[in-house]
Amino acid sequence: MNLLDFSSSIFIVAFFLYCFAFIFYCIAVSGKKWSNRDPKEHEARWSNIAFITSTSGLIAHIIFFTTRWIGGGQAPVSNMYEFITFLGMAIMVAYTIIHFMYRKPLLGMFALPLTIIIVAYASVFPQEVQPLIPALQSIWLKIHVTMAATGEAFFAVGFAAGLMYLLRVVDFSDTSKKGRKAQRWVEFTLISILVICGFIVASFGFKGAGYIAQFEQENVSVSALGEVTTKVETVEYTMPPIFKPYNSTAQYVEPFLGMKEALLETPSWFDGVNAGRKLNTVVWSIIVGLLMYAIIRLIIRKPLGALIHPMLDGIDPDDLDEISYRAIAIGFPIFTLGGLIFAMIWAEIAWGRFWAWDPKEVWALITWLFYSAYLHFRLSRGWHGKPSAWLAVIGFVIVLFTLVGVNLLISGMHSYAGVN
Amino acid sequence: MLLPENTKCECGHQNAVGTVLCETCGKPIVQEIIDSNEPLEMRYDGVARRSQKANPDILDKIWNFFSSVKIAIYLIIATFVGAMFGTIFPQASTFINNFDSSVYYEETYGTVGKIYYMLGLHNTYNSWWFITLLVMIGTSLVICSIDRVLPLYRALNKQQIRKHHSFLTRQKVTYSTVIEGNAEQWVQNYGQALKKKGYKVHIDGTALLAEKNRFSRWGPYINHIGLILVLLALLARGIPGWNVDAYVKVADGDTVPVSGTNYYVKSEGFKMEFYDNAELPESLQNTGRVKNFETLAVLYECETNCNDDFEKPQLTEVLRHTILINDPLRYEDLKLHQFDYDLTPRINAVSPMIINKETGESFGPFYLPMVDPELNYEVGPYKIQLIDKYMDFSINGEGKPVTLSREPNAPAFIFNIQGPNLKESGEVFMYFPLQKDKVRFSQNTINRELTDKLDIKVDGMENVSFSEATTYLNIRIDKAVKFLWIGAIISMIGLLLGTYWQHRRIWLRIDEDTLTLGAHTTKNWYGMRADTSYALGKVGIELDAKSLDNGGNKG
Repeated sequence: MNLLDFSSSIFIVAFFLYCFAFIFYCIAVSGKKWSNRDPKEHEARWSNIAFITSTSGLIAHIIFFTTRWIGGGQAPVSNMYEFITFLGMAIMVAYTIIHFMYRKPLLGMFALPLTIIIVAYASVFPQEVQPLIPALQSIWLKIHVTMAATGEAFFAVGFAAGLMYLLRVVDFSDTSKKGRKAQRWVEFTLISILVICGFIVASFGFKGAGYIAQFEQENVSVSALGEVTTKVETVEYTMPPIFKPYNSTAQYVEPFLGMKEALLETPSWFDGVNAGRKLNTVVWSIIVGLLMYAIIRLIIRKPLGALIHPMLDGIDPDDLDEISYRAIAIGFPIFTLGGLIFAMIWAEIAWGRFWAWDPKEVWALITWLFYSAYLHFRLSRGWHGKPSAWLAVIGFVIVLFTLVGVNLLISGMHSYAGVN
Repeated sequence: MLLPENTKCECGHQNAVGTVLCETCGKPIVQEIIDSNEPLEMRYDGVARRSQKANPDILDKIWNFFSSVKIAIYLIIATFVGAMFGTIFPQASTFINNFDSSVYYEETYGTVGKIYYMLGLHNTYNSWWFITLLVMIGTSLVICSIDRVLPLYRALNKQQIRKHHSFLTRQKVTYSTVIEGNAEQWVQNYGQALKKKGYKVHIDGTALLAEKNRFSRWGPYINHIGLILVLLALLARGIPGWNVDAYVKVADGDTVPVSGTNYYVKSEGFKMEFYDNAELPESLQNTGRVKNFETLAVLYECETNCNDDFEKPQLTEVLRHTILINDPLRYEDLKLHQFDYDLTPRINAVSPMIINKETGESFGPFYLPMVDPELNYEVGPYKIQLIDKYMDFSINGEGKPVTLSREPNAPAFIFNIQGPNLKESGEVFMYFPLQKDKVRFSQNTINRELTDKLDIKVDGMENVSFSEATTYLNIRIDKAVKFLWIGAIISMIGLLLGTYWQHRRIWLRIDEDTLTLGAHTTKNWYGMRADTSYALGKVGIELDAKSLDNGGNKG
């Protein structure tokens, strides 16, 4: 067994340990109401078991990272798969640090599913070790990427605590206009998380079924001298084409539920490499996510938020508010250093310009400005509790857009990160 | 709130207008706050800011505008929302050549693109409103900081130990109890316990002030100074000569001037390397994944005859460097970055033979460079005179020979040749060194009957000299960049001081046998309560840290 195979196996171990830890946290929280036991003791015992499990998961994850580094001969942060798995690991590190600071074990109930989703998301991307192209052959790749991801991981923990705060304090029996609005937004946030799960389910589902469709796309480009060149490229889909590539003809479309050809065409202004396939994937993620939501609603017969809300009874919302804020305050300088300063240093070395208004750079700046607005709101304008928690949630949406959305929708220097 | 009011505290201290809490004893002096029961707002310890002046004039009003944190937050929000617009479509600046933005956006993105262009969003980051926003943020950074840092410095520099009761009981962390025994001894013991936690303890009889990490209060201001420097560094790039950004094309073996400087750069060869299939995973097999490319560069400083069209410049070598993408050539302020490459070979010189077709004799070779060839050659019995040359030969619409560029893509030479069996005055011979051009432009037809008499041709590849590749380098001078790094370092230090440390203070006083305690921190109330209860525990008062909370688990 070579080191890389071992690395892949231990990654699966880490994934399952995270899943078990999550289940144990759920037992710790919901089991309090079971009869024949002392609620406090039950919670302490099970959250302890859950924390030990999640820490074992983190250790397995770190072993995955190190063995892949040694086996692959390069720091595993150079493509989308490696970056996302690293982000998952960083979230667990951030969670563990916050856990030791506050000893509020139930935070794990939200941090772990976040890590699980992210780790599962990573597995959608090609997993092989790819040797570095010249632009990435720099020590700054490791420093910039790991540092930025660590900062973002703390923002993720801030998001988890913020969302938990909202689910804890939003009153699901309130029928006033304001109350309903809050409920709707919490529900919307949960649905968005399900859409991300929908992406993972759709990717694995169709991959497992071996689905394939092929299109021939004509790309017309006008050169600097005004010469028009037409290039025909084959685009391969792994999900049934709801949107086919712009200006393309079907070569082969495997029928899916009676769907024999693409329903719609991707608009021409959808930019970037493989725009059609990306749009198609996004649409499928939304469909599957909504489908999962519909099934859950049919089973539980009430909003998802109303299901989770009573589980969080007995958690001090002030603690959640403080944890969310502290996580962001810890993450902010790390993100500043890794996401902006180190990024500028690398850009200055590689391209001779520390700032080029590349979309990814701009979004890193937007993330930074957003969190600095958050800190000013909190410190100088006294925004605590709900508004602060909402900002923590929105902030993480911006982080996710910077990490994934920019690559998906906007092309630029960072497009080599290789999104599906 | 800014109405003229009695700002003299009952403790006798005369406070400035705008003061919320007495600078000395901490008693609230604004009626509104006296009447409320909420925990006190401890921002800047309640001292008056510079902007809180009675009867502000116009300058004061501008100052007041920029000194508001609320305005600062709005500016931040406006900036990031504005920046978002710039990422919707590619910015005009990302296109390098022959780009007409007035048609590009409409053609590519339709009506949306046209509106995008008309709003000027194709140039978001250089637009007047975006620059204005940045300048306003800079102004806000300066004014907000000055407005607060001086009053705060004064407040923290001369703190009174014994604070007013209402100051203590209205802190977010507060505690009150009846103690037994000697009050002064109790205070001493409590102070000892806090010293172990790293506090600086000041005792005034039965009152105590314990303080820790005051420096962290300066963190935000240090951070802002750093950010101001960063913004100034950005502006400084506008100074002529501070920001050079040009491109230079160097074929293997060429030495070319570095525009805008006194330097010349020579490429001793551009090299490119691909990964072997053995190094690649399955999905990347045979994709020609590039492993490395580099330019072996030599930098020269020009002594004399620089940029002279007639005289050769005198060059002195100053540096040799292999330029990689992540490893530019650096010399003083100048940097040369690998930008692009072209693997089309370029012909530099040929050494052809001249052949007398009637006798079969051949003479030569003679050296014929593409750049600056000699005008006259004597080869064997022949006298060759160069009349004209075309580097990129073509026939235009009127049937006349022209050159398309100065690049030797299709070189052609026109000679007047005198020699055996030729006219006295010589005969005109057209020579295409490259075989493909010779066929394409029918050299033999052009030269007519002379074709049968003589030929000029290269004998073997060793008589042709090529540049195998051309490298494109980006010339950069950015003198502001060092100020940017200094700004970034200062900003980072401030950020770390302000977020990873917190200023914590505990005040207490004992009147008769009643202890009143208040504590305040800039952030992390959890830790503040833990410290307070830890020290209380040391003097025998065990309690749950959370019970110290006065409804203010905030900040």
